[in-house]
Amino acid sequence: MGVLKKIFREDLPFVFAAPALIWQIFFVYLPLFVLFLQSLDFRFSNYSGLLNNLFFNVIANSFILAFITATICLFVAYPVAYFLSMKVKRFKNFLLFSLILPSWTSFIVQVYAWIFLLQKNGPFNIILYKLGIISKSTHLLNNYFAIILGMVYCYLPFMILPIYTVLEKMDKRLIEVSADLGANKIQTFKKVILPLSSTGIMAGFLLVFIPAFGEFAIPDLLGGGKKIFWGSLIVDKFLMTREWGSGAAFAFIGILILLIFFTFFYFIYRFLIKFIRTKKLWGGYE
Amino acid sequence: MNKIKITGNRNLLGKILPTLLIILSYLFLYLPIFILILFSFNESSVSIHWTGFSLKWYLNLFNSPEIGRALMVSLFVAFSSTILSLFLSTSLVLAGRWWKNSFFNNIFYVNIILPDIILAICILSIFSFLKIPLGYTSLIVGHTIIGLGFAVPIIRSRFVEIDPFLTEASLDLGAGYMQTFIKIVLPLLKPSLIAAALLVFTLSLDDFLIAFFCSSPTVQTLSVYVYSMIKTWIDPTINAVSTLLLVISSLLVLLVCSFKVVDRVISNE
Repeated sequence: MGVLKKIFREDLPFVFAAPALIWQIFFVYLPLFVLFLQSLDFRFSNYSGLLNNLFFNVIANSFILAFITATICLFVAYPVAYFLSMKVKRFKNFLLFSLILPSWTSFIVQVYAWIFLLQKNGPFNIILYKLGIISKSTHLLNNYFAIILGMVYCYLPFMILPIYTVLEKMDKRLIEVSADLGANKIQTFKKVILPLSSTGIMAGFLLVFIPAFGEFAIPDLLGGGKKIFWGSLIVDKFLMTREWGSGAAFAFIGILILLIFFTFFYFIYRFLIKFIRTKKLWGGYE
Repeated sequence: MNKIKITGNRNLLGKILPTLLIILSYLFLYLPIFILILFSFNESSVSIHWTGFSLKWYLNLFNSPEIGRALMVSLFVAFSSTILSLFLSTSLVLAGRWWKNSFFNNIFYVNIILPDIILAICILSIFSFLKIPLGYTSLIVGHTIIGLGFAVPIIRSRFVEIDPFLTEASLDLGAGYMQTFIKIVLPLLKPSLIAAALLVFTLSLDDFLIAFFCSSPTVQTLSVYVYSMIKTWIDPTINAVSTLLLVISSLLVLLVCSFKVVDRVISNE
């Protein structure tokens, strides 16, 4: 009894952790393993079958799309997050909250909003017609531009949030110190603010890039399924043609590429930040 | 003289530019949604032109049994997966108090990091492997997986802040383990439990991809139903459904933010 009490007092028994762990292993890790076995199929034919141009193109499509989305998001989100954390004095929390509100509402509704705007005879068409830019109503949907627009719209808040958090946590006195020591605004930005906010940029890039890489609904609905992406091919393999072996192989190749990319990205990124900080880039000495 | 003018301009620019940028980003994020809501009240069905105020699309919505059923499925799945993920993650966190490394908590980060589509094929494959038909079970399992990824870190971050002497004092003063849990630990965990519950519920309602894989033709969530509506025929009924979904999730997000759940998620990342 005493032993039991000792165990209880120092730690709850492992039984308490078991349901969640079993749940996680049974529904995530075990299927991942089974899918991996299925993809190998003891012959590697699933993988060798993927080594043709089509599949390479599909991965490249997804990669480029995710990269463009994340980059545009970064360049839009950074100034917004920066001004929000540095310049805005009142209603800061409310402003931030209302910026991320749309992305927390239903995802499919956000996509539909853009379908509605861009469709034939839709509001955008009418505005462009009234402005005389287009002569008759045309399809603004089903092209690459529509996909990018939808992607940036859906993922922008995921970039704003981490960058804002890092900037907000930063000690603002450092900027004053930098100015006192004679640095101008650009120097302060590239030597103090940018290196200190780099974790936020990294997190935001990850938060946008990974889901954008696996995106299925936006290219499907806004792009009209013209270009095939990683996500849409997996959907096709698993739900339509039911070739699970090659579908799983394809999924794992995607994950592998994400892993490789982020390992490389991490080092390139650190180098880049260091480069901007030390090298003579946007004016200034040293 | 000239120099003063330049700095004056620069200050003006420095004042206008942030405001302008923030206003533009708001327009970009909100205008599509507002136009969508506006046209859900439009009388005309095919044309995009405004012909008059009407509520007929909402009547249409409430008269459609499929939409009602899909909404009920969505709410039921969201509710069940919230309860399940709260239960699972609380018991996990309670057990993991004195674990030296956080390995068992870290295995849940996969649920956030992996693309949703991978989790979706995992659940699909395990269900077809066990020959369990898709439906409520698969939807609840899928959303609980997503929920665990967020609930475990949120609840854990609160739990490690609790002073261990509090529970010890309670035990020393003669309270049983159950009593200690209900009277000491649970009230202290309450903010994080509420935050996690609201977050999981919102994520479950918003999710499309996992629901798309785990739905059966008869049991569909509202997101999947809207998707199939968009695929077949676009009319203002979708605007009305979308407005309904927007209202539900906005209310939830308002609740979420009032409990500072966002701060918690960020501080854990």
